[in-house]
Amino acid sequence: MLDAIQFSSFAEFVDMGGYGFNVWSVYALFAIFVAVNLILPLRKKQKIIRQLKRRMTLDAEIQSEDDSNGD
Amino acid sequence: MKPHRRKKLGIILFIAAGLSVAVGFTAYALKQNINMFYTPTQVAEGEVGAGQHFRIGGMVKTGTVLGAPDSLKVNFVTTDFVSDVPIQYEGILPDLFREGQGIVAEGEMDAAGVFQASRVLAKHDENFMSPEVKAALDAAGASADNHMPAGTN
Amino acid sequence: MWVWFSKLGSPKWFYELSGKWLPWLIAAMVIFMAIGLVWGLLFLPPDYQQGFTSRILIVHVAVAGTSLAFFPLMFVAGTITLVWRMKLADMVAKNAAILGAWFSFVTLATGSLWGSVMWGTWWEWTDSRLVSMLFQLFLLLGVISLRSALEDSDTAAKACALLSIVGCINVVIIKYSVEWWNTLHQVSSPVNMDASSPNGPEFWIATLIMIVAVYLFLSVSLILSTRNEILERERKAQWVQDLVLKS
Repeated sequence: MLDAIQFSSFAEFVDMGGYGFNVWSVYALFAIFVAVNLILPLRKKQKIIRQLKRRMTLDAEIQSEDDSNGD
Repeated sequence: MKPHRRKKLGIILFIAAGLSVAVGFTAYALKQNINMFYTPTQVAEGEVGAGQHFRIGGMVKTGTVLGAPDSLKVNFVTTDFVSDVPIQYEGILPDLFREGQGIVAEGEMDAAGVFQASRVLAKHDENFMSPEVKAALDAAGASADNHMPAGTN
Repeated sequence: MWVWFSKLGSPKWFYELSGKWLPWLIAAMVIFMAIGLVWGLLFLPPDYQQGFTSRILIVHVAVAGTSLAFFPLMFVAGTITLVWRMKLADMVAKNAAILGAWFSFVTLATGSLWGSVMWGTWWEWTDSRLVSMLFQLFLLLGVISLRSALEDSDTAAKACALLSIVGCINVVIIKYSVEWWNTLHQVSSPVNMDASSPNGPEFWIATLIMIVAVYLFLSVSLILSTRNEILERERKAQWVQDLVLKS
């Protein structure tokens, strides 16, 4: 398994046969792309729940005054 | 399905079909304009007007690459295995440029019938191989990369 | 309006069902991504002509292929929205457009990073494959801006369904551009079972793993953003309020 690795040193791994910049840029972009599109929705969910919670406590406070108008 | 739904679905499908047909006709009408390059055969048949700036695409004929040692000038012949066009170019060639490789050159024909290229791009084919597999194939005498890629139509 | 909402219990149903699926999908995505990336960066052999830039292509091919799924998905979702008045389908379509634009952009960028060293150019306006992919990105940006301009109205759903039809036609053009016209872009590589011939398992197994990983990522990301959309649009529903109180 380990001898199937294409590189014999870390420097070679970074260099990618002279195409290091292009290969690593692609993998970095891909990593950012995946991370952003998973982390942003997760953070948005927390934000939505926080907002809804705040609104519900506010609603509960004015509930008694508003009760007669509800249907 | 309820009638009003069937009607709506019908409208959507009708628009889809109409648009597809329209795009299909447009693409067919523009067929030659959408092509990125002319093949050497098309050039030989006179499809390109004199003095026109255009792109030509073909394979680099094996054994025809001649470079001057002290400059970036290079001469080679491009072929689609029917017709040949000689090309002259001065500049840096892409890493993939080599004999037997597909290329696209941009420029114009000079009076001597030599294509004076201002730009040369390398075209990669669809074959991926490790050097080991390539060596084994070459040893077996069945080189797989000597066929014309897309562009013969 | 409110009766109409509650009659369609499906956002709630989707939220609960997807909540059960998500852990499994995420686990599968992490496994396939890890295998694909480690294989791609450490074990994938160099190509005899392009060297280690073949590593760019397993990512590029996986993202590019998957990016073609967005317009068909949006067309189906748009049709369901217009014909069966299903709000859930509209939410999926809205979020698919945003994710699809990301996919198209990454396809173009990774392709450029390969082309700049292999072709000798990072962009060619005369290549129909490149231009049709750029057109897909612009179409998706158009869908996104239309939606933000018209908000979540019926008009927005109609306009986006129409653009999705154009997008689907463009997907066919992207797919076959390399066969119909002369392009700098190569044609698709055929899969070859034989290990001693071009396009053998040494390349396509790694690509296949990346394709599965990217499809799983698409599903996870789209489900996450659709769930957010459900929470926002259904915030007045009792089940959302219960859910918020519990969390």
